[in-house]
Amino acid sequence: MNCIEIEKFSFLYPQQTVPALAGVDMTVEEGSFVVLCGKSGCGKSTLLRQMKTVLASHGQKSGCIRYFGTELEEVDERTQSAEIGYVLQNPDNQIVTDKVWHELAFGLESLGYDSATIRLRVAEMASYFGIQAWFLRNVNELSGGQKQLLNLASVMAMHPRLLILDEPTSQLDPIAASDFLETVRKINRDVGTTVILTEHRLEDVIPWADQVYVMDGGRMIADGTPSEIGRKLKELGHDMFLSMPTPMQVYAGVESSRECPLTVRQGRRWLEKELEDLQLKAAECEENIGGNGRETESVHHETESVRKRTHVFSEKEVPEIRLRDIWFRYERELPDVVKGLSLDVRKREIFALVGGNGTGKSTTMNLIARIRHPYRGKIWLEGKSIDKYTDNELYHGFLGVMPQNPQSLFVKKTVRDDLYEMIDGKKEKRSDAFSIEMSKRDAVAGIVSLTKLADLLDRHPYDLSGGEQQRLALAKVLLLRPRILLMDEPTKGIDNHYKKELGEILRKLTEHGVTILLISHDVEFCAQYADRVGLFFEGNVVTNKPAKEFFAGNSFYTTAANRMSRQFFPDAVTVEDVVAGVDAYVRR
Amino acid sequence: MNKRSDAFSACHPAVNFFYFMLVLLVTMFLSHPVLLGISFLGAFFYAVRLKGWKAVAKFNLIFTLPAMVIVAFINPAFNHYGVTTLFYLKTGPVTLEAIVYGIVLASMLFIAILWFSCYNEVMTTDKFVYLFGRVIPALSLVLSMVFRFVPKFNAQVKVIRNGQKCVGRDMSNGKLIKKIRYGLTILSILITWALENAIDTSDSMRARGYGLKGRSSFSIYHFDRRDVTVTGILAGLLGVCLLGFHYGFSFAQYDPVIKIGGIPLTPWSVITYLAWTFICFFPFLLGLWEDESFKKLEKKMRMDRDIPWYLKEDEPGSEQKILKTDMTFTEYMNGGKETEGGTECELY
Repeated sequence: MNCIEIEKFSFLYPQQTVPALAGVDMTVEEGSFVVLCGKSGCGKSTLLRQMKTVLASHGQKSGCIRYFGTELEEVDERTQSAEIGYVLQNPDNQIVTDKVWHELAFGLESLGYDSATIRLRVAEMASYFGIQAWFLRNVNELSGGQKQLLNLASVMAMHPRLLILDEPTSQLDPIAASDFLETVRKINRDVGTTVILTEHRLEDVIPWADQVYVMDGGRMIADGTPSEIGRKLKELGHDMFLSMPTPMQVYAGVESSRECPLTVRQGRRWLEKELEDLQLKAAECEENIGGNGRETESVHHETESVRKRTHVFSEKEVPEIRLRDIWFRYERELPDVVKGLSLDVRKREIFALVGGNGTGKSTTMNLIARIRHPYRGKIWLEGKSIDKYTDNELYHGFLGVMPQNPQSLFVKKTVRDDLYEMIDGKKEKRSDAFSIEMSKRDAVAGIVSLTKLADLLDRHPYDLSGGEQQRLALAKVLLLRPRILLMDEPTKGIDNHYKKELGEILRKLTEHGVTILLISHDVEFCAQYADRVGLFFEGNVVTNKPAKEFFAGNSFYTTAANRMSRQFFPDAVTVEDVVAGVDAYVRR
Repeated sequence: MNKRSDAFSACHPAVNFFYFMLVLLVTMFLSHPVLLGISFLGAFFYAVRLKGWKAVAKFNLIFTLPAMVIVAFINPAFNHYGVTTLFYLKTGPVTLEAIVYGIVLASMLFIAILWFSCYNEVMTTDKFVYLFGRVIPALSLVLSMVFRFVPKFNAQVKVIRNGQKCVGRDMSNGKLIKKIRYGLTILSILITWALENAIDTSDSMRARGYGLKGRSSFSIYHFDRRDVTVTGILAGLLGVCLLGFHYGFSFAQYDPVIKIGGIPLTPWSVITYLAWTFICFFPFLLGLWEDESFKKLEKKMRMDRDIPWYLKEDEPGSEQKILKTDMTFTEYMNGGKETEGGTECELY
């Protein structure tokens, strides 16, 4: 039985000329696990919302959507509420009530169940999801991961037959995210609920999927099982590969006739076979000169050159940010959060702090931004103690801080006004925020072209996608011409395409002499764009090394590409490294 | 959070609420010294039990006692009724009746505050929401949403302020006019944010069927048998009291002469006062009773645990015997001694 059938569905938002969805076909079998992927703004969310009448956007529709054989619009609201569960992106905003137990019961109350039934269902859900421990708590005491789990549980309490999840983990840290996705998978496996999911973190979900749909520009461009998708996308030569799991990305970069690998384990086996093949070929050509050793050598050379780039900074140069023996705690009675931290960040480098939740990374950033003050130790920026700067000196033209949530910077109705707001309006007059001899128009134009906002200037900041909002926030911060840029989780909730753009912007900024310190959970991003990486643990930086060296040396805290290929190319950290390694092999 | 659990607090919210209403009303409308004294002792013991000596003593010494003294002195200074004149002030004669009434008034205030402090500990917001949600179902959800929003807003204001501070635009930056402007900006960001996110919340509500007809209201509270018993006892005691009050045992008059009903004590007035004592001490006694039963249980546990060493060593089978105590219903019906095979034989 098909749970959802979509036939030639098209959708046009009011006052728009380009359809958001064009002739989409989709069939979801009951009990299957379906992953829908595509770049931000490709129409994924629009499509998902159409699968539940109360959430569907208004606009011009054609084609049809059937739910278990009946036209969706004819399925009454009560049935839809109970049977089609929908989990949205933001964990916080979906929670309606103040108590965990009340939230779990919310949907059941709406459906008008009596107390005994609700009590049973709620108890069942709390046990299944392991919520008992915080059952009586207030929701604001929960962590992000717990909140999203609560949202899932309160939807599951209504016993839906179809569960739709719209980027449910984009606001969570990696550990909470994989826990959440694991739970979704468990529901699919144990209860047989049909799951339709969109995700950025495809590494975790693609291997489990029964069916993958790829969308681009409102159309379905490919569908099939995960490995079929790998092959199809490769044939299409589509840049959607960027969002796929690392083994699939490597696969896309290498000539191969084998089946597309999905997980790190499969990827390693695939790579082994490929290399064997190549070796055999090489043997046939009788040019077999122990390729392996020389191969790693060449990769070595590469990392050597990167290392050189970072080592150009001489020792006597004043570090841009210097922390010495910093100790910090929030209140006298509470334990220390930052413990004897010492750190140097050199001028014009991208320094990434990685590490688990609650280890004190964000606190450190707040200390450098002078939002909090250490009770022991000192911070120097460009060789001058941080306490000696005035607010004006520090925050205007020197230190820029990108908050984790870009929305906390948006003030005006359009992107353009919002940018001008940052430099005290459109009037050409000098102020603290804008003290240089340059017309504001030019300044804004420069920043807009750097951050690629030109097409979005008349939009409302809240209408932008996650990645675009991130760029707008960055543009606003950059208008103050910072020489040091602090970024808290810049890649949270944005897809790989935007990450790439963001990474390139950051690179460009360092060329202009900006020093960037970022904290991130995103290992892949750090591997690709950071010059040096420090591992934060228990209030201190355990180690800091050039990025490649750092990731090549770790066995768990490293990129998927490295985990997949470490036997063959121990120094390869990014997808490009692995592909380059294989290419070098081919050339031999 | 890690407050000691209290037996009366664990009763149904309706019992809690009506109990406090009853005690407070009687305390505030009857100015009978005996009743007030009993009420005071009951409230005091319960408050100490709930919050500990220090907190109660501190609060009362700092806030309530001064207020009491003021009330007790103001009344005789401005009211000159009564027949027993003690001495004269500039404002007029100071009478015994006015002084006594001043003290009674002040203690009434004091006792009411004491009861309210207990009320605050016992009636948490969710109990309140639950009770009034019964009367107006929509209100319960609205209140619940309000309690959700307030901390959420607070958290968000912090985030926004930090973000603005880092671009030099927090209320702590700049001069007065700028401070105000930055404050307004923060407010406007907060409102945009809240409205935008409210769309998500409403989506989430509608996705879970909010707005369908026949919404029910769930709560984790359950009116169990103990609540029935407690209500019964309290109602009985209240009946006795009311009867007593009806016969004038609660009568008290301070103007022009002091007249107190029920004194000297008669058997009937004693019964009334006893009933009132039980009412006032009810939460305290319930707590004591629970403590007592726990002590007994602990004793039992200790006896089980601390068997003398010579018994422990000899009986490896004793553990099995204990395990055997959780027998099934059929085993119990069949005498319990039967082995597994035995029960089946008995059945057929």
